[in-house]
Parts: sequence; C-alpha cells; structure tokens
Amino acid sequence: MSTVKQSIGGEPLTTKLAMKMEDSMQAFAVRAACFIGELDVPYSEEFDGHDFGATHVIAYVGDEPVGAVRVRWFQSFAMPERLAVIQRFRGNGVGQLLLERCRTLAETRGCNMLYVQVLPNDVKYWEKQGWRRLVAGDANAGAKRIVAMVRAVDPSKPLPDVEAPESIVLRPEPQLDASGLPLGSVSN
Amino acid sequence: MSLQNSAVPQPVVTIKLASTSDELMQCFALRSAVYIGEQQCPYWEEFDGNDFTATHLILYVDGEPASSMRLRWFGTFAKFERAVILKRYRSMGLFIPFTQWAMEFARKKGYARVYLHSQHRLWPIMERQGFKKVDDKVFHFSDHEYGAYYRDLEIDAGDAPTMHTDPLVLNRPEDQLDRPGILEHSVERGASNPHAGWTERRTN
Repeated sequence: MSTVKQSIGGEPLTTKLAMKMEDSMQAFAVRAACFIGELDVPYSEEFDGHDFGATHVIAYVGDEPVGAVRVRWFQSFAMPERLAVIQRFRGNGVGQLLLERCRTLAETRGCNMLYVQVLPNDVKYWEKQGWRRLVAGDANAGAKRIVAMVRAVDPSKPLPDVEAPESIVLRPEPQLDASGLPLGSVSN
Repeated sequence: MSLQNSAVPQPVVTIKLASTSDELMQCFALRSAVYIGEQQCPYWEEFDGNDFTATHLILYVDGEPASSMRLRWFGTFAKFERAVILKRYRSMGLFIPFTQWAMEFARKKGYARVYLHSQHRLWPIMERQGFKKVDDKVFHFSDHEYGAYYRDLEIDAGDAPTMHTDPLVLNRPEDQLDRPGILEHSVERGASNPHAGWTERRTN
C-alpha cells in the first residue's frame, strides 16, 4: 500500500469537490486522459450520462489537476467510480486520498456504506485498503469481469446487511431513453 | 468490385463546427486524451485560456468523437491549433481531409491565409499539403519543437463575406453560411419590438 503524501515535488497535494464548471471540466480532463487516452475507452462509454447526477472530487498537486473520482449516490450506499490519476503522478497515494475524501463526504451525508466495482486483478489492492467482496467467493466474478466490493463508511461500525444489486447500479437512470443516451442527445 | 466488397460498411465520417456545450466537451475530452494522457502535457498548458475565444471543429467516426481542432481568428490569417486524432482512429487518413475541411471553412469566412505551428515530426506532411515555412525559426513549447507554417487560400472576391453581405447571411451558423439559419425563419414574425416601450432606467 502506498502512503499518502502531503506534497509531491514540493507542491501541496489537496482535494476539492467540483463546485464550478471549470472544476468539473478538470475532472473530465483527467478521466479523458486516463480512460480515453491511455486505456482506449470510447468517449460515449466514458461519459455515460451519469456525470451531471454525480459528485466529482478532484486531486491537485499545486494548481495541477492530477486525479479525479466520481461518486454516485444511492439510497443505501455511495458508489465511487471512474477513479483516475494522471500517469506521472501515480505511486503517491493520490487514489487513496481521493477515496478517503469520498468516505468523509459519505460520512457527512449520513451514508453507511461505500460500494465499488473493480477488476478481478485489482481485488487484492482494494482488500488492502479495507474493502471486502460484497459476495464472498463470488464464483461468477470472473465471467462478469467485475467484482463488487464494499466498505463501511465508519470502520468502527459493522456493515449493515444490505445487498447492493449490481443490475440496478449499472442500469441507466430512469430518465434516460431506451438508447441509453440522455434524452435530447438523439435527433430522431 | 464484387458485391460482397461493396457491402462492407464503411465508417461514416462527419465534421462540424462544435456548437453545443456537449460538442465542446467532446473536443476537450479528445485533447485531454491525446495531449494530457499520451503526451503528458500539463493541464494548464493544454487549456491555456484561449478555448473560449476560439472556434472548435469536431470530427465523428460512426457518431463517436474521433478528432478535433481549434481555430483562432487573427486580422489577416486563421490559426489552426490543437489538432488531435484519437489513437484508435489514426490509421484512417483523417488528418488531411479534416485540415482541408477546416481550410474550406476559413476560406468561406473570407480568410486568404491559414497559419499553424507544426510539430517537427509532421513537417513533411504539412509540406506535402502545400504549406510553406514562414521562416527558418524553430521554437519549442510544452516539450515539443515547432516551426511556423502558412498556406494561402483562393478567395472568390464575390463570395467572401463583407460588411455589404446580406446581414442575415452573416448571422448564419458559421459552418452553414450557404444555408438559411434559424434567424431567417424568425423574419416571418415581423418586428414587434417587444421591449420598445420599456425605456425607463432601472436603479440598482
């Protein structure tokens, strides 16, 4: 586990919630750099219609936006997703810092549980950060290529016994039309 | 050509002026992917303060944002900048038709010259496209070496917009100067001068 640094290259490492268009723009730029630029994810999958119903957290080294995460809010849990750190700033615990900001944010909103979907190869990393599989020994995880993991917002309180149904989480929000795109984005 | 070959679906390429906030956002995402993601450009160098004084063009492949370019307008020339193509679309030969579309766009606006800073590795391509070096200066910014290039465009004197062009033609969307725009349709409503009676000064 990498330790979270207070500063990188003499510049302070900070986080902030996106409050203005420019802030959101920075979060989108970091994600586009990592997911579209590095991982070749198509634009329409990366910007999936949930960005304007979510909370964005950005990490800075000095003035430079270097990391971002998106949090979606569900009735029984908060879901951090789209966690991204610009390549040359990795290995400094920026991702951990962003997730900690998600946790405290969830705490202030009275939320008990955090829920993430991770790649099978990354499960060990998340376990070291205090997360556990939603379904112990989930045999289907390999086939589905994602593993649902959860963690208590307050580590001293046990997790409520609530299942976060993946199918609901992944389905587009009800105001979206059948194409899965936000209404108004399709011309016919 | 056999029937089978012609039945292979060709990707549909469309180019337009980025005219909505979504389209602008797509341009910014493409540039972030290529410059920040691939070329390690710092955020504040990529988004340098000129994005909201510029014209942005976007190219789609089968509806997916694939390429974008930023144009800025100076007195005697248009400056082409921030041209990117996403990695997965780079083998399709999009750059030259996109540049030609942009030149045609500038030409229709009445610009007789385009100007750009080309990364050193792209100089042969620019020269094949009829671009000439402004001078022999080589300069660098954001970790790349550049040279300044220009190309003259043939302006049809009767065609280029001037102050004497039909005012409503000048109001058209800039990538559709040859087609009636939404304001021409509004002409039918006449001039009721809705707030003509509202002349009092308001105090703050």
